[in-house]
Amino acid sequence: MSATKVEEPTRTTAPEQRSERARAERRLGWWLAGPAFVVLLAVTAYPILLAVYESLFKYRLTDPDAREFVGLRNYAIILTDPVWWRAIGVTLLVVVVTVAIELVLGFALAMVMHRALRVLRPAIRTAILIPYAIITVVSAFAWLYAFQLDSGFVNSWFSWVPGITPETDWFGSFGPAITVIMLSEIWKTTPFISLLLLAGLSQVPDDLHEAATVDGATWWQRLYKVTIPNMKAAVMVALLFRALDAFRIFDNVFIMTSGAHGTEVVSFLAYRQTISRLEIGLGSAVSVLVFLSVIVISLTIIRLFNVDLARARGEV
Amino acid sequence: MQRRRFSTGRSLIAVAAAVGFVASACGGESGPPTVTWYVNPDAGGQEQLAAQCTEAAEGEYQITTALLPRDAPGQREQLARRLAAQDPDIDLMSLDPAFIAEFADAGWLTEVPDDIAADVTDGAVQAAVDVSTWNDALVAVPFWANTQLLWYRKSVAQEAGLDLENEPVTWQQLIEAAQSQETLISLHGIREEAYAVWINALVESAGGQIVENPDAPANEIQLTVDSDAGRQAAEIIQLIAREGVGGPGLSNQDEEGAMHQFNGEESAFMLNWPFVWAAINGAVEEGNLTEEFLDDIGWAPYPAVAEGEDARPPYGGISLAVSAFSDVPEAALDAAACIVTPENQAAYFAAEGNPASHPDAYENPDVQDAFPMADVILQSLEQAGLRPHTPYYNEVSEGLQATWHPPADVDPERTPADATTLITEVLRGERLL
Amino acid sequence: MAAERRTTSNRAMWIVIAIVVLVYALFPVAWIVSLSLRTSTDIASNQFLPGEVTWGNYEGILVGDAQELFLSALRNSIGIVLIATFIAVVLATLAAYAIARLDFPGKRVILTTALAVAIFPVISIVTPLFNLWRTIGLYDTWPGLIIPYLSLTVPLAIWTMSAFFRQIPWDLELAAQVDGATSWQAFRKVIVPLAAPGVFTTAIIAFFIAWNDFVYGISLTASERARPVPAALAFFTGGSVFESPTGPIAAAAVIVTIPVVILVLLFQRRIVAGLTQGAVKG
Repeated sequence: MSATKVEEPTRTTAPEQRSERARAERRLGWWLAGPAFVVLLAVTAYPILLAVYESLFKYRLTDPDAREFVGLRNYAIILTDPVWWRAIGVTLLVVVVTVAIELVLGFALAMVMHRALRVLRPAIRTAILIPYAIITVVSAFAWLYAFQLDSGFVNSWFSWVPGITPETDWFGSFGPAITVIMLSEIWKTTPFISLLLLAGLSQVPDDLHEAATVDGATWWQRLYKVTIPNMKAAVMVALLFRALDAFRIFDNVFIMTSGAHGTEVVSFLAYRQTISRLEIGLGSAVSVLVFLSVIVISLTIIRLFNVDLARARGEV
Repeated sequence: MQRRRFSTGRSLIAVAAAVGFVASACGGESGPPTVTWYVNPDAGGQEQLAAQCTEAAEGEYQITTALLPRDAPGQREQLARRLAAQDPDIDLMSLDPAFIAEFADAGWLTEVPDDIAADVTDGAVQAAVDVSTWNDALVAVPFWANTQLLWYRKSVAQEAGLDLENEPVTWQQLIEAAQSQETLISLHGIREEAYAVWINALVESAGGQIVENPDAPANEIQLTVDSDAGRQAAEIIQLIAREGVGGPGLSNQDEEGAMHQFNGEESAFMLNWPFVWAAINGAVEEGNLTEEFLDDIGWAPYPAVAEGEDARPPYGGISLAVSAFSDVPEAALDAAACIVTPENQAAYFAAEGNPASHPDAYENPDVQDAFPMADVILQSLEQAGLRPHTPYYNEVSEGLQATWHPPADVDPERTPADATTLITEVLRGERLL
Repeated sequence: MAAERRTTSNRAMWIVIAIVVLVYALFPVAWIVSLSLRTSTDIASNQFLPGEVTWGNYEGILVGDAQELFLSALRNSIGIVLIATFIAVVLATLAAYAIARLDFPGKRVILTTALAVAIFPVISIVTPLFNLWRTIGLYDTWPGLIIPYLSLTVPLAIWTMSAFFRQIPWDLELAAQVDGATSWQAFRKVIVPLAAPGVFTTAIIAFFIAWNDFVYGISLTASERARPVPAALAFFTGGSVFESPTGPIAAAAVIVTIPVVILVLLFQRRIVAGLTQGAVKG
C-alpha cells in the first residue's frame, strides 16, 4: 500500500569506502528479491492491464468475428445497470456484517487463546486452525447440506424457534439464504482474524494491566482503556485484510445459491459474464471495476481508521 | 428388468474397452484413429456403445469416452471454452439441443455430409432433426430424445376424480385435484435450465412462443413472451406457487428433487423425464421403495393449458456433433452414425431410461418391457415444443430465469414484460445478465 | 490472570470455554463426516447422525464409478499445489533474505507490492487469464494453474518469511566465521537450522492457501487433465445424472480435509506463529 506513512529509515551518510560495498549490497538485494517481484507483477499487473484492454471491446467468444472497439461503452452499460449496483450492495452487506461479527467473535477467541489454561492451549489452537485450513468449498457444502430441505437437520433441531418449521426453505428467499452464506463465511474466517488479534494482544504490555488492576479498574475498564487502545494497529490490520477478503466472496455463493434470490455478489457477476456468457469484453470491464472497488475500499479504510501498516508491523 | 445403476456391468464394459484397446493397439504401428467422444454423465451406456462401435469398426477407428459436467450449462461452458481455443482433442460431443444452434453458428461443428444425414434422419422424430439442424444443414446426429410426462399416483388421481389414462388433463384441473387431495405437484422451479424448460413448455402449450425469429442476429431477435400465451403461462406458475401445491422447496427444486418429493408421501403428481421410471424401479429393486408404490404409479401426457388443446411437452435429449477442429472428422462421423442406429438407441433406452429419437426403437421388446409407457413417450415427442433454437439461447434462458424466479413472485401482468425488456436489452448488448 | 489465582471454578470455566470452542470448530466437520457415511435415503432423513453407517460413498469415489473424477482431481490438486508452494517458497526465501539482511532501496516497494497482490481480487485476474490461456494453450493445464497460484502464495510467503528472518540473529554467522568456519559452513551449520522452521511454516501456510483455491480452479480448467479438487467437488456427479451427489461430495470433502487436519495437528504451534508474525509483527 503506497499510502503507508513511513519515511525510509534514514541512514548515516556512508564514508567513501563503504559506498562500494553498499552498491554491491544493493545489487545483491535486487538480484535476490527481483525474481519474486517480477513474478508478483507478472501474475497481477499484466493480467489487469490485459483486462483493461479487453474491456474496451465488444467481444463474445462464440462470435469472434464481430469483435469491435467500443471504448468505454461496457463501463457505461455496467454502471447504469441495477444488476451491478445490486451486486455491489449485496457484497458490501456481506463485508460489513461478516467483518463486524468476526471482529467481536475473533476478539473473544483471541482472548480465550491468550488466557486459557496452559494445558488447554494446544487443543484450542488446533481446533481454531481447522476452520482456517479447511477448503472454503467444503465449508460451503457443510452449511448448505445442514440447512437444505432434503438433507438438513437445522429445521428439525430448531423447530421450537418461531418461524422455523420442517418446511422452512432457507435457500428460498434472500434473507435466509444470505444469512447461511454469511454463517459459512464467518465460521471459516473468524479463526484468521482471531490469530491476527492474538498477535496484537500479546503485544499489550502486562505491566499496563497490572497497573490498571492496582488502580482498581474493572475487567471491562481494563479491556476498553488498556487492551483495545494498545492493539489498535492489529485490529486495523485484521479489519483491512478481512474486509478486502470478504469483498472477494465467491465460493460460498457459487456452491449455495449460484446467485439465485438476489444473492449475487460482484465476483460472481464477473465470473458469469466471462465464463458462462463468454462475453469477454463485458466480463473484463466488470473485473476492472471490481479491482477499482478494492482500491477504493482499501484507501477508505486506511484514511478512515488511519491504519498504519508499517507501524503495525513494528517497523517504527 | 432394469439394469442397476451402480453395477458390475460398468467395470465389465471398462474391461471390454481395455481389451478392445489392447487388441486394436496391437493391430498396427500407428493404430487406428482414435475418436474421443465427450459424453454427458450416464450410467455407462454411452461407454458401452463406444465399445460396441469400436468393435464393429473392425480397426477403422476406435472410440474413447471422456466425461462432461453434470448439467447442460456446465457442459456448454466446458465445450465452448475448449472449442473457442480450437482444441483438437474433442472429436465427438454429446450435445444438449439447447446449444446446438450456438455452437453451429460459431462454426464449431462439422456439417454432416448428405449420405450420412439422409441415413440418420430417415424416419427420426421431427423435433430431433429440427434441433440438430442449423441454417438448413444438419450439424448433429440425433441420438436420443427426451420429453416429460405427467406421473401420478393412481389411487390419488382416482380419489380426485381424474381419469388420466383416458382423458387429457389441464393444469387448472391438476392444481384443483392436488388441492382437493391436499397433495403436491412435484415440479422444478430452481433457477436453472429446468425452470426455463418448464416456462417454455407452458408458453408453447398456450399456443405461443418465447422467441419469434430464433435464427435472427442478436440485435434483431424479437421476443414474444409478453403475449396472451406468456401471461397464461405466468398465471399457472403464479397459481401453483401461491397455492403452495408446488411444495415449500419449489424455488430450489430440480428434476431430481422433484423425484425425491414424489417418492415421498406428500406428493401425488410429478412432471418429469422418463429417467424417473428407471430410477424408481432401481430404488424398488434395492428395497428403498415398495412394490405397492411402483404399482400405483401411472403416466399421462403433459398437461394442457386450455381444455381441448394439445399440450406441447418439453423437448430434450442429446445429439452427437463432430467438432470442426477434430483431426479425424470422417472417423468421428462414422462413429456417430454407428452409435445412433435404432438398435443401439433401443438398447440405450432400455438400459438408461433415455428415450430414442427413432420410432423404430420403440417397437423393441426390451424397450416395451422396461418402459410400458413407451408409446406415450413417442406421442409426446411428436407433439413436443422446442426451446428457442437460437445461438443466443443461453441469454434467453438466463433472462427468463432472472425474471421469472422465484415462482412465487411471478406476476402475469409484469413478469413476461420484464423478461422481454431484459432479454432484448441483453441481446442488444445494453445490459448485464 | 495470574496462575496462583486459578481456582477450581475458574478451571471448570476454562474447560467449558474450551469445549465451546471445540464444538464451534468441529461441528461442521462432524456433520460432513456424518453425511459421508450414509446412503442417499439416510441423508434424506434430516438427522444429524447417520442411521446406519456405510462406506459406499468412499468406495464410489476411490474405487467405484466416480474414481476417475475424484482421483484425477486429487492428483491434480496435490501436484499443482505442491509445485506452486515450492516455487513460492524458493522465490520468497531469496526475497525475504534480501529484505531481512541486506540494505537496498525498494525493500518497501517489494513488501507493499506483496501486500497489494495479497488483497487483489482473484476474479479480476481470472477474466484476462482465461482468454490469454486459451490463446497460448495453457488453458486446462498444470502450468495454467501453477502460475496464477503464485499470485496467492508468493505475497504471503514473502511477508511470513521476512518476519521470520528478521528474528534470526545473523551475527552468529559472522561469529562462526570468526571461529574459523568457511562462509558456506557458517551458513549451513548456523543459518540453515535457524531459518528452516520459518521456511517450513511458510510452506505449510502457502499450501493451505493454494489448496483452498476455487475461482482459478473452475475458471481455468475444463477436464480431469488439470481440474483441482475444490472445482471437481462443484462438478461432482452422482452415479447417474439424476442421482444426488450429496454422499459422494461429503466423502470427497472428508478426504481432502484429512491432509489439512494432519498438518494442523502436527504443526499447530508453528502455524499460529507464522500467521501472527507474518501479519502483524516485523
